[in-house]
Amino acid sequence: MSSWVIAMMLGVSVFLGSIAVVALMWAIKKGQFDDEEKFLNAVKFDTEEDLNDAANLERKKEKLKKKEYRPE
Amino acid sequence: MSDKIACTHCHLEFSKDVMIKDGDHYFCCNGCQGVFHLLSDEGLDSFYDKLGDNKLAPPSEQFEDASNFDSPAFYERFVSINKEGFSEVSLIIEGIHCAACVWLNEKALTNMDGVVATNINYTNNKAKIVWDDDTVKLSKIIEMIRAIGYDAYPYDASLQEVKANKERKEYYLRIAVAVFATMNMMTIMVAQYAGYFTGITPAVKHILNVGEWVLSTPVLFYSGWPFIRGTYYGIKTKTVNMDTLVATGAFLTYIYSIYITVTRSGEAYFDSVTMIITFVLVGKFLEVLSKKSVADTLDIMNRHLPEDIKVVENEKIVTKNVNDVKVGEVVLVATGEKVAIDGELVEGNGNFDESSLTGESEPIYKSVGDTIVSGTVSIDADVKYTTTKDFAHSTMSNIVSLLENAMNNKPHIQQLANRLSEYFSTIILALAFFTFVGWFLYSSSFEQSFMIAISVIVIACPCALALATPVATLVGLSIASKRGILFKEAVQLETMANADTLVLDKTGTITQGKPAVVKAEIVKDFDKSLLNSLLLNSKHPIAKGVMNYIYSDDLKCFELDSLSNIPSQGMTAMYDGKMLAGGNAKLMRTIGIDVESSSESSEFYFAYAGELLAKYELFDMPREDALESIQKIKKLGIEVIMLTGDHERSAKKVAELVSIKKFKYDLTPEGKAAYIEELHKNGKKVVMAGDGINDILALANSDIAIAMGNGSDIAIEVSDVVLLNDTFSSLYDSFKISKKTFRMIKENLALSFVYNGITIPLAMMGYIIPLIAAISMSISSLLVVGNSMRIKFGYKD
Repeated sequence: MSSWVIAMMLGVSVFLGSIAVVALMWAIKKGQFDDEEKFLNAVKFDTEEDLNDAANLERKKEKLKKKEYRPE
Repeated sequence: MSDKIACTHCHLEFSKDVMIKDGDHYFCCNGCQGVFHLLSDEGLDSFYDKLGDNKLAPPSEQFEDASNFDSPAFYERFVSINKEGFSEVSLIIEGIHCAACVWLNEKALTNMDGVVATNINYTNNKAKIVWDDDTVKLSKIIEMIRAIGYDAYPYDASLQEVKANKERKEYYLRIAVAVFATMNMMTIMVAQYAGYFTGITPAVKHILNVGEWVLSTPVLFYSGWPFIRGTYYGIKTKTVNMDTLVATGAFLTYIYSIYITVTRSGEAYFDSVTMIITFVLVGKFLEVLSKKSVADTLDIMNRHLPEDIKVVENEKIVTKNVNDVKVGEVVLVATGEKVAIDGELVEGNGNFDESSLTGESEPIYKSVGDTIVSGTVSIDADVKYTTTKDFAHSTMSNIVSLLENAMNNKPHIQQLANRLSEYFSTIILALAFFTFVGWFLYSSSFEQSFMIAISVIVIACPCALALATPVATLVGLSIASKRGILFKEAVQLETMANADTLVLDKTGTITQGKPAVVKAEIVKDFDKSLLNSLLLNSKHPIAKGVMNYIYSDDLKCFELDSLSNIPSQGMTAMYDGKMLAGGNAKLMRTIGIDVESSSESSEFYFAYAGELLAKYELFDMPREDALESIQKIKKLGIEVIMLTGDHERSAKKVAELVSIKKFKYDLTPEGKAAYIEELHKNGKKVVMAGDGINDILALANSDIAIAMGNGSDIAIEVSDVVLLNDTFSSLYDSFKISKKTFRMIKENLALSFVYNGITIPLAMMGYIIPLIAAISMSISSLLVVGNSMRIKFGYKD
């Protein structure tokens, strides 16, 4: 009984912790921490406008991709 | 003068009446005004809110033609096509001062048609731009960057840089897992230890053991992978190293602990597995972290040479890529331009700055027939010369390739701990084997013999040994950085501690790099403003030295007529109908004043209306703390040698002033490097301190290269150690800190050997009581950490 509680708590806490670690590893792999200055400074200018820009960029990219001729 | 006002664009302050007024705004130059209007038109003026109080450099208005960027040769070298078929280029953007600048560049480029991605690194201003080459050309992109007040040039994002980044990232991932597991492991261990001393039910203990098992598994196989891989290659090449010890130790401990957990007997040591891997991994990461990238250095170096030069062909001037210029062609060099190819002067004469070759700031006068060397800069003349070599064989290209060679073949001195661990690991593995054989013969119980043999390896767990170096270097590095000494790699502390020779460059390293007045002889009182007005017109270092000397607030500026510069003599001008002259003895003699020149320092004479008024003696004096620090360094048993590109007389004088007995003069950059090679051949370990482009070859060849903080960027790049506060006493400090750190490493190693000397025999006899094992493991690590902290003694800040 009491040992079952310990086992459960240990399991749950390690599981929750490992979710955080996996999230961190994902962020590292995506290159979110590559530029320590950006990590600290870019937040200052993070506005809705920048979000729109990013979305527009994606759209632009898709459009250019759809063109038939691709330079080699 | 009216009050100062800031330019709306660059925020630099100037007096109101020189500014360009434009509505409510004031601009310091047309460039700033242009950029401001462009940004308002493009709707990017929120840049100024983001900029805050930061100042910018006013935009340059002179650029080479951007269409060069569209040439096929350029595309071939720098532009790559990515998987999706878009073009990609890596640029270094110049003029970025703050986060707002990055924002502006990214924004402006993102808004361009055809650009699909921009990523600018805030730290090193390197940018990666992806675009569709059918919609927009690279030249348009570069033009845009220039239009908003910055400049960009491409660099080869070579494999090396990519590889270094990937390696670093991989370490981050492994460390993240290891640290997470270790932290959780610690909480479980609190329960384990508490249970050991106060009693614990076997069921709870079993649960905790299983928990540890789960946590240590990813650490061993994921975080510990570099060690396992290292061991594998070690076995393949039949060498035993630190990796072997860590991997076998951790792996066997892991197996042993699993056995204990499954059979529910005794104590498991999963904590040791995670701890050792985490600590050693972090130590290894420190080594990887700051490994210099040869590629970066060469990028900067190549940037020092022009890529296109003007060639006279059939009486027309054509621009050619340096690589296409053949021997015998006539090349045009304008004032302020850098020479790219060696040659011989055929038309014109003037002063050349050869500081990149000699380190001396004094320009050298050249006339027809003299040789011109690449890397030098024409200061005041437009000249023509015929090439005598092609670009690849010119002096500067030679230096670049020698540099590349030297940096790739830097001697690697194996660390003491690594060397010892080879023997240590071999001995431990052998002892474990003999223990097993001995016990098997004695008790003929396979299980018991095997467990005891493993316990030998577990107890010899190289925690303390593996920790000895990283902890001590970490403390050493932090003390050094607080005192303005930046070691780029941790291992350099050990290399430096073993060095026995210090080679110093003269100009800019021992001396301040600019001449100062050491003696003034006023023949007849005169108005200092007169001399000042004359000197204002010269960029010569001697003139600047005199100007600094006579400087005071009440100096006026007179209007001078018919000013003329007489190369390598001085200058003359007319004031009030009479002639002013300032220069060396030769100039005085030409204007009919007889002077005697005998001094070993440079002289500056000043005459008015045919009458000598004053004589100044100038000398490039050693830094204030040079003598004291050099004496202290000598006391450490290090031989100090001075190398210089300067002539014998001034070399001798400086050497005497700072009490250096051995010095070499008239050395070319290659000569300096060759001298260091020679020292190497005689078995010396050489530390070289320098500051200029002329020192880089020697720096790259030395075991430890130290750059002064105000040295050229290329010297800093090549160096292992940078003295940020640019003083000589920190040179001495860096020696002292490295020696102290190295002594700590040795003490730590000794401690761990003593510890192993006691515990291993006990383990071999089968007396390993879990209590002793647990306590001695923690204590040995604590001792090492505690001992390392002692480096801090004597350094209060």
